[in-house]
Amino acid sequence: MESLNETLWDVVISGTGLKHSLLALALSRSNKKILHVDQNEYYGDAEAAFSLQEVDEWVERVNAVSPSNFRNASLWKTTTSNESDKLSFSRAYTLTLSPQIIYTRSKLLSQLVSSKVYRQLEFQAVGNWWILGEHSLNRLPNGREDIFRDKSIDNRAKRGLMKFLKFVVDYENQNELWQPQADSGLAGFLSSHFQLPPNLQNVICALTLSLDAPESTKVSWSLPRIARHLTSIGVFGPGFGAVVPKWGGGAEISQVACRAGAVGGGIYVLGIGVKESNTSSEEAGNITHVHLSNEDVVKTRHLIQYPAARSTDAKAVSKVIAIVSSSLTTLFKNSVEGSPLAAVSVIVLPVSTVIVEEASQATPIYIMAHSNETGECPAGQCVLYATMLYSEHSKQLLDAALDVFLARVEDTPELLYKLYYEQEPEEENEAQTESLDPSLDLAFNDAILEDVESLWKTVIGDEAEQARFMRFEDREGMSADDDELDEGY
Amino acid sequence: MADSTAPKPSSSVKLVLLGEAASSLVLRFVNNDFQENKEPTIGAAFLTQKCNLPTRTIKFEIWDTAGQERFASLAPMYYRNAQSALVVYDLTKPTSLIKAKHWVAELQRQASPGIVIALVGNKLDLTNETSSSNPLGEDGDGEAAEGEDADGDARKISTAEAKSYAEEEGLLFFETSAKLGTNVTEVFTAIANAIPETSLKGARGPGASQAAARTEDQSRVNLTGPRDAASKEGCAC
Repeated sequence: MESLNETLWDVVISGTGLKHSLLALALSRSNKKILHVDQNEYYGDAEAAFSLQEVDEWVERVNAVSPSNFRNASLWKTTTSNESDKLSFSRAYTLTLSPQIIYTRSKLLSQLVSSKVYRQLEFQAVGNWWILGEHSLNRLPNGREDIFRDKSIDNRAKRGLMKFLKFVVDYENQNELWQPQADSGLAGFLSSHFQLPPNLQNVICALTLSLDAPESTKVSWSLPRIARHLTSIGVFGPGFGAVVPKWGGGAEISQVACRAGAVGGGIYVLGIGVKESNTSSEEAGNITHVHLSNEDVVKTRHLIQYPAARSTDAKAVSKVIAIVSSSLTTLFKNSVEGSPLAAVSVIVLPVSTVIVEEASQATPIYIMAHSNETGECPAGQCVLYATMLYSEHSKQLLDAALDVFLARVEDTPELLYKLYYEQEPEEENEAQTESLDPSLDLAFNDAILEDVESLWKTVIGDEAEQARFMRFEDREGMSADDDELDEGY
Repeated sequence: MADSTAPKPSSSVKLVLLGEAASSLVLRFVNNDFQENKEPTIGAAFLTQKCNLPTRTIKFEIWDTAGQERFASLAPMYYRNAQSALVVYDLTKPTSLIKAKHWVAELQRQASPGIVIALVGNKLDLTNETSSSNPLGEDGDGEAAEGEDADGDARKISTAEAKSYAEEEGLLFFETSAKLGTNVTEVFTAIANAIPETSLKGARGPGASQAAARTEDQSRVNLTGPRDAASKEGCAC
């Protein structure tokens, strides 16, 4: 192996999770000497995607003592002898730790476009949203006409709903209406100001993807998210407001961003982590000595790594990744003319939809259903990503949620595979009381991009003024057709 | 240009590079250029080059490892949807074919099952067979053995050894010189010919069959609007 310690690096980045990979992308045209390492043998860190065999290995590591923000992973596989209900081979699956949807108005998409790496990604639509009611699975109304036609909503509630939708897309100009209630729960606000009944409160709250109950989801946090949901629909085509990259969501973005870093000259080493580092002020320019897990010591001007300490009492989430033996076609069916075929569908189970012996469901459960179009599973199957806030009974509740959901969809699919795990927040967040950590958000959180930009500024230093963040020219075109490039030789 | 005059269907084919000095072979193919001690291509996301066949045009989208193979850090996305691969070894280095075999195994593990793999022994210019118009096959090997000026021959891997391995694994096989340009175009033409018609997608141009547009395209979301896609397809051809 080549030696890494002969170079004075401008920056050593440890970890190839989404944030650090986007940093590598941001620095990919900076001409900085970049060493990007990951202690894992794969890209993506907490946003990685795995084959079934890789999941086995991951589960073992998570349950070993190694420090990570994952815990209590457990795996269940079908033992059926029924041919049609069997798992396919390991690499037929790409199960992702990062299935978050990306709203079409997210800055992430515009930055992936302006940095040109979007050409290596394939985005698919998050189509229908469903709410699991007491007896059936109901599609969330998609716009005003849908609401008018919906016979399950009475006229009084319809008026309230229309009034709310009109208000929320303009909430920034109507501070007097909601500011006094900013810290109150969304449920009460919807009830007192718009006379919305509890079932519609649940629908509205679902659009925020809040992991808290509507009563404890704050108005000030909710309104921008509901507005984002509504104004995102139609940006890239009719009938959808969010997208997911094919082949494993955030995992794919991380790989594409790291490739951009490598194309820009960055050196990539997997399977090597940072053990410790110390900065000597005696040497000129504050050089940090980084001890790598392969016993190499490298010198760098900047070291970017995840904070070592994690708070244990912060909100954690429980997650299940399940493979089912049906393509669940009705979930993904186009509901709006001219819309692309949905590859992802969101199913919401409001508070108290499922009950297990010990406890009732105090917070909502979200299931992101990914069709085989996502490339994550073979044809005839689907991958379900279920999430809820961690509690003593969240594991049983998620199991119950999957059972109830599968009983409500066509051709009674079988569960083939189930991975349960818990995930803690990435950052130690002092103001944790109100909002959710961006790394646990079910929709890509643009706060991550602010972090990337500030890290980028730290590394670039004085040059930050001239260089423009994530705005690059196309690299390709070094083909025989482009004469201007040939002149260089 | 070709699109407007010729009615031939044109399709994009992703080709991934692996092994020693693969970039130099591609630079010869794409730019008809050669640089001694070529480093892995820095600054190129991928290179494109068209290959005209009698019945269709193949537009190669050639992906370089960008150096990510050096510390075994190639990502799954590199192999994703690759319809062809070029695995290059240095026929003057004894260990080079072993590395190439590792890459072939990696491709068989990670890439799509139908991928067309070409095994290429480069640096034919350092052997004494360069004058041969067809350095392939038994003839080339035989000549080397009988050659009078065997002293100037730096070959360490015999044609027969590599060829029999390629046959076992069902790979295309060539020996080339990126420096002199020997056999380089032939490699790419052979790959283009070996790609089954049925695996071609995104077929463009007037002759493209509608059947080529598979369901996956129905779910694709275009982030830049239809105009961008059209202009990208329309130019540079």
